[in-house]
Amino acid sequence: MKRAVRALTAHRPRPLSSLVLALTLVAGGFAAWTGQDWYRAAHDDRAAYAAQRDEALAAGEQAVQNLNTLDHRDLKQGLDLWESSTTGELHEQLASGRAEFAEQVKAAKTVTTARVLSGAVTELDDRAGRARVLIALRVTVGASDGAKTDKDSRMLGELTRTGGRWKLSALGQAPVGGAPTG
Amino acid sequence: MTPTRLLRGGGRPGNESSGNEPSADATDATDATDATEVTDTTDAANEADATDTTDAANEADGVRARRPPGGRLRRAALAVTAAVLVLGGCGFLHGAHQLKSAESARNRALTDTEATTRVAGEVGNALARVFSYTPDGTAATERSARTALGGRAARQYRELFDRVRDDLTGQRVTLSTRAVRTGVIELDGDRARLLVFLDQTSRRGKDEATTAAAQLTVTARLENGRWRIVDLKAR
Repeated sequence: MKRAVRALTAHRPRPLSSLVLALTLVAGGFAAWTGQDWYRAAHDDRAAYAAQRDEALAAGEQAVQNLNTLDHRDLKQGLDLWESSTTGELHEQLASGRAEFAEQVKAAKTVTTARVLSGAVTELDDRAGRARVLIALRVTVGASDGAKTDKDSRMLGELTRTGGRWKLSALGQAPVGGAPTG
Repeated sequence: MTPTRLLRGGGRPGNESSGNEPSADATDATDATDATEVTDTTDAANEADATDTTDAANEADGVRARRPPGGRLRRAALAVTAAVLVLGGCGFLHGAHQLKSAESARNRALTDTEATTRVAGEVGNALARVFSYTPDGTAATERSARTALGGRAARQYRELFDRVRDDLTGQRVTLSTRAVRTGVIELDGDRARLLVFLDQTSRRGKDEATTAAAQLTVTARLENGRWRIVDLKAR
């Protein structure tokens, strides 16, 4: 019997409820729209590529600076940093020539510091994990007698991504008077 | 709860099957953050309606003027859902804005290959033109500098050229500049920053030519469809 009574009261129009319901639907639509907008932004290939570009540049600048920094009083730490900043062929070269190089620097008693003036990525293959960078660098060499000399150099670096981190796999001076490229 | 639940608008009191219909919990509705839950809310509202009507029926028959307390509950549930959805939407909006306006995403260097190649090419060519001259052709160089340079770069260039113009002609200096490597650091709409490695070959009279390296950071601005260099800084 309850049902019969209920049926009478149930079917009353309630403008306020309809309004609230309509508002809820509108809110739902809003949330759905913004949600998919956010999802698209979060899964944007371009943004991921841009993030890789910036990571590669930051890692490249840091690695080039590391490889141009060495204090004869703290060779172990300096050369460890060289090795941890590099990978591939460059890493092997540095590792194999380490002892000899350490002797030379110890004898020369030099302190070398470097500052990156500017850097840019010229190529990036984020699938293969390869990138090329240009770095303008100022290297300051402090000799054992306290004299300091500045030298500006322009470097071309190649980076390879290993284990999610970008590391230098090749580094050289940009040749002067050579063939023009990129 | 007794199986007295009826769907709203169920004007058919004998319909037993409606009582067995699965329906969401009222609490579910308040937790709902997803747009798809909106329909659930309606269900929940129906349920809330059903209970309150029973209450109303128990109280007295046909006191229609009085609002059953459950109606308020239902509206409150809807309002809370709406508020949660709006808040969630604002959250998404904010998140999307953060992602899109992040510095790395705004910078189109390399991500927009076409624009990157174009600005690098135009700036490299412009630098080669304005820093190349022959003893008798300085006027032509200055002319091309007027179109390629703007702002601070144009002022710097004029000052420099005013100082050296007579020497250039007097000492028969020829300079040829080539951009050997160009990297786009930043590209954001009509503004770009580049790092350019230049080779500058100069010859004084009949002397041997010498080549020197130069590194510049260049700021360029897109004006009337052309990239114009507005600032130069030697590196």
